Amino acid sequence: MPHDDRRRRFELLALPHLDAAYNLARWLAGNTTDAEDVVQDAYLRAYRYFDAFHGGNFRVWLLTIVRNAFLTWVKENRSGRMVFVPDTPLAETADTETTMWGSRPRDPEALLLESIDSETLSRLMEQLPAEYREVLLLREVEDLAYKEIADVTGSPIGTVMSRLSRARLALRKLWLEHIALEDAHGV
Amino acid sequence: MECDRATGLLSPLVDSALGPIARWQVRRHVAGCDACAEKLEELRAMRAAIRTKLIFHRAPPGLAARIGAALPREAPPEASRPWFRLPVFSFGGTGLVGALAGVALTVLVMSGQGMGGGHSEAMQAVIGSHIRSLQAEHLTDVLTSDQHTVKPWLSARLDVSPPVLELKDQGFPLVGGRQDYVDGHPTAVVVYRHAKHVINLLAWASPGAANEPPRDESRQGFNVVTWRRNGITYYAVSDVEADQLAEFAKLVAQAT
Repeated sequence: MPHDDRRRRFELLALPHLDAAYNLARWLAGNTTDAEDVVQDAYLRAYRYFDAFHGGNFRVWLLTIVRNAFLTWVKENRSGRMVFVPDTPLAETADTETTMWGSRPRDPEALLLESIDSETLSRLMEQLPAEYREVLLLREVEDLAYKEIADVTGSPIGTVMSRLSRARLALRKLWLEHIALEDAHGV
Repeated sequence: MECDRATGLLSPLVDSALGPIARWQVRRHVAGCDACAEKLEELRAMRAAIRTKLIFHRAPPGLAARIGAALPREAPPEASRPWFRLPVFSFGGTGLVGALAGVALTVLVMSGQGMGGGHSEAMQAVIGSHIRSLQAEHLTDVLTSDQHTVKPWLSARLDVSPPVLELKDQGFPLVGGRQDYVDGHPTAVVVYRHAKHVINLLAWASPGAANEPPRDESRQGFNVVTWRRNGITYYAVSDVEADQLAEFAKLVAQAT
């Protein structure tokens, strides 16, 4: 097929997912400039490897490349800083999901996150470790299935499942701390 | 099932990621355990909060153009060339190589042109309309979640009157409507959202054409459901998962 067709086909497939790609990169990189660099690099890579895309969900394929582009960018720009903490099997950590839930707070209503505003929620998300932030974004914002998240992150489905569970509990912990802080300040 | 085990399965339960047996076991446990029921409620509230309140960072204007300018314009990369060489080898090769080359060529032609015929062209045009709506920031002419505004706006301009429904509770809030011209048809478009994804519902008049039940198709990474009812052809197109689009189409088709 002529080269122009290849390019047009790529643009037709890839440009509609630009917001999704940018949102993921922005949440991973943490700022606008770096996110733009990551997305641009990801699109150039995707175009280079376009012939390797054999159908299936293009968005999942593209998000995988965005994530890889981010990891390369981290290696080149933030050397020495660990972004993704390797997973420890559940049995080897002190935290089981039951202990992570902790005891019931005095006011269960406050826990429901129903009253949280967009800015606070987004700030708490930023405080989460990258591997937690990533699975929450892929699951809740991109609405990917466990199998698709496993494809994007290169992890087994079981890992995706426990990581999501822990990500939610970690976010809940941050939210509890936020409420406690507000209470302490008499807000 | 014990509390400890059930607690670890609440998160996948919220994600509908459990098999039928585990799902049944966890639900049965939750029904008899207040502590786990509260945890489940919390996880559901958290899920709703993230889906509705987390900031979505849209690509800044100009990024698409910058990427377009950075894409290489020179000859295609090495990786795609063997496809073009294969038929050349086959002329001097054995019958087997020739036969294989024939297969490769057929696949190329099929994937390049789709199924052919009028349906394929319409499908292409529908996806084109969907993509334009996402790119050009021309998603809606009338931007409102009020169904009583969208419907009269469309009926005043077009001879088709697609159903404009309030499906917020079912997870498909109404965004607005627009007018389009697709595959030669003046087209009414009703725009819905699901999570952060846009669903375009296109409708145009096909007077005298027979009814057709909803049919799913996947094309260029988009899912499409199409049906025809009472002389109107409908296309629902989106990048949401196929089963969710099917659910949406079912809700809308009931009203057509």
